[in-house]
Amino acid sequence: MRGRRAADRRKLIAATVIGAAAMAGLALLRRRVGSLRLSRGLAALRLVARGGARYAASAPQLFAAAGENRQQLRSDLALETAEDVATTLGAMKGVLMKLGQMASYVDDGLSPSVRRTLSRLQDSVPPMSADLAARVVQEELGRPPEQAFARWDPEPIAAASIGQVHRAITLDGRAVAVKVQYPGIAETIAADLGNVALLRRMLRITAPSQDVDALLAELRERVLEELDYRREADNQRLFAAYYAGHPTISVPGIIGELSTRRVVTSELVDGARFAEMASWPQQERDLAAETIYRFVFRSLYELHAFNGDPHPGNYLFHGGGRVTFLDFGLVKRFTPGELQPLMQMARYLCVNHDPEAFRRNLEKAGFLRPGAPLSTEDIVEHMAVFYDTVRESRPLTMTGDYSSAVVRRFFDVRSPVTTYAQIPRSYVILQRINLGLFGLLGELTATANWRAIAEEIWPFVLGPPSTPMGEAEVAWRAQRPSAGPPVEESLA
Amino acid sequence: MTTGPYATATGLIERSAAAYVSGIPHHPADEGFFGPDSITWRVSTDLPSPIAGLRSLMMQALHPLAMAGVDQHSDWRRDPVGRLAATSAYLATISYGERAAAEQAATRVRRIHEHVRGVDTVTGRPYAAGDPALLLWVHVALVESGLVVGRLFGTPLSPQDSDRYVAEMATAAELVGVPRDMVPSTVAGVGQYLASVRPELRCTPAAAESMAFLLDPPGLDEDIAEIWQDIRYGAIVSLPDWAREMYGYDPPPPLTPERREEVRQVLGVLDAVYMGEPGVLEARQRIALRMRTAQRA
Repeated sequence: MRGRRAADRRKLIAATVIGAAAMAGLALLRRRVGSLRLSRGLAALRLVARGGARYAASAPQLFAAAGENRQQLRSDLALETAEDVATTLGAMKGVLMKLGQMASYVDDGLSPSVRRTLSRLQDSVPPMSADLAARVVQEELGRPPEQAFARWDPEPIAAASIGQVHRAITLDGRAVAVKVQYPGIAETIAADLGNVALLRRMLRITAPSQDVDALLAELRERVLEELDYRREADNQRLFAAYYAGHPTISVPGIIGELSTRRVVTSELVDGARFAEMASWPQQERDLAAETIYRFVFRSLYELHAFNGDPHPGNYLFHGGGRVTFLDFGLVKRFTPGELQPLMQMARYLCVNHDPEAFRRNLEKAGFLRPGAPLSTEDIVEHMAVFYDTVRESRPLTMTGDYSSAVVRRFFDVRSPVTTYAQIPRSYVILQRINLGLFGLLGELTATANWRAIAEEIWPFVLGPPSTPMGEAEVAWRAQRPSAGPPVEESLA
Repeated sequence: MTTGPYATATGLIERSAAAYVSGIPHHPADEGFFGPDSITWRVSTDLPSPIAGLRSLMMQALHPLAMAGVDQHSDWRRDPVGRLAATSAYLATISYGERAAAEQAATRVRRIHEHVRGVDTVTGRPYAAGDPALLLWVHVALVESGLVVGRLFGTPLSPQDSDRYVAEMATAAELVGVPRDMVPSTVAGVGQYLASVRPELRCTPAAAESMAFLLDPPGLDEDIAEIWQDIRYGAIVSLPDWAREMYGYDPPPPLTPERREEVRQVLGVLDAVYMGEPGVLEARQRIALRMRTAQRA
């Protein structure tokens, strides 16, 4: 039994993770079909409100911060006062942007009209003027930026949904990125979330069992929590500490004394953006993909944390597989009890080849309604695509076709399995693995023996290193303080 | 004479947005009749302008002769959305367009008005759309709605700025053919004018029908229809009591601070929807940029 276990476990993990994610989409699509008749823009916003609410309801321990998505900085229209901020982002607009951001984390199937309405909304928010940003820094750090930093670049280098990023050099000479929040935005959004009559109406058609008021309370709490940059700083510290000394993964450090509720300062790192790296030779792309893959699953199974935003903008590439991971605004931490069912599912499907046990675990974890009138064969057939990359130990090339097949399956309303599928709230965020990670790896047409890498990481296998990067990780792991007990043991 | 059932309001948002965008110039040769530092621009870019627009239609319709002109001559029943969009395009051009464009638009309207003549079936009185007295009514109803709705749901103007707004807007009246000396140029003047016209006002069957259409437009997408309830509430609650009584509406629930916030939220959502229409955000940015430049100068 014990001997077999090691072999069993590998697949379970990737498989379950993906499977979990898979099921979430199905419920969403059914709802979406119902609203096709609605006017494009408003239906879009209603979907956004629902997506945001679903996110809030599903992911109680998530913290999301600003994604740096806006392309264009309209400095000619810069916001100059807190009143400008309130005018621009009041009357629900800040709330809708925030909800939209949340919805996009759990629902990449957002329709083009939803995306368009959201991106227009984001585009409609100009950056802060240099003076206004300086005033926020002064209020938060007690000194104007010219005194808090040795050098301060008044021109923002990037936009965030509720703030913007400036470059600076600290008094002790470190180059840093400083994210500064719009003044008054928290108050503006809080005021809008204090008056929930409209939101209640927008959410009216969510699942009937949903207690809309509880949902709104949760939503309010979640959004307000996310307006506190200290959360994001804490998450980034967690990852930076864990990966200290890692051969290919690096996470910029947080400068604690320059980070507060509305300002977060981290080391500034230079590197190639995703688009540039995607033009590098295939060998380099494979290495970068391997690092990203290791990062996602090692974080999940050892750090029990998942950074839910595998967005191309959140990586910097340095060659040789070295990758810097940015933006820890959206991190979900898992309990061992939450991880356990994921592993069991992967184990029984990919390693033990015991479909009935796989099904029992799906039901136990809450992915499948118990007693659904479906054959186990159909269920396995439906789920198998999510586990394709780890079912066999052999080199496999990720393609755009694979990731779109996964996404399609995800939203396949015709499948009878869909009717009985649901997503337990703890796992909603894992959808990002399907929708984000595999999309990225597919874009890189990356080849690796993903199964062998997964086996290295799966706590119930802890397989031998399968690549040079794996070898280097062994050395890194040997010199770092030991992590907590493996998930499985802690539950046994 | 055309009477008959109304067409539906399908496409209201899309067509109004397109009309608005068409009125905002890219590289204007001059600042137009009002200009980026005018109160007029401030009022017309304020959040509650959809409510102000609806309220002014409700006021305007209470003049039997003005209503008859619309009802008997325009495409109002056959294509109400097109008619509203044309009005939006006209107002955008007058407000933000360069002088030549504004004059051209006004000339076109005056020319159309020449053919709009008839006899109102309710009062038996003859009317002509080019009659300065009717045009003045339509004008003052618009200006007064901007003031009242701004005060209730928008960014209120100071008394001085309110007077300035009334004075600025006299130019719009003049453009369609009202002699300047007839047009009120202060808030007090607006009040006196309204009191003097009130004996002529009443809700004719045509007005009642038009408003029934506007307050609950058939064929709206169901989500927009839902939002429209709040726009309608905002328009009705901001009407003077006497106007509401002429229409025979029950007094609406009082405008509490919570209710005001909810209406503002709805306006914000509607605004976000509107901004999702092609060209609207860019048009807004063109205006904002001109206002910003003027502010700095």
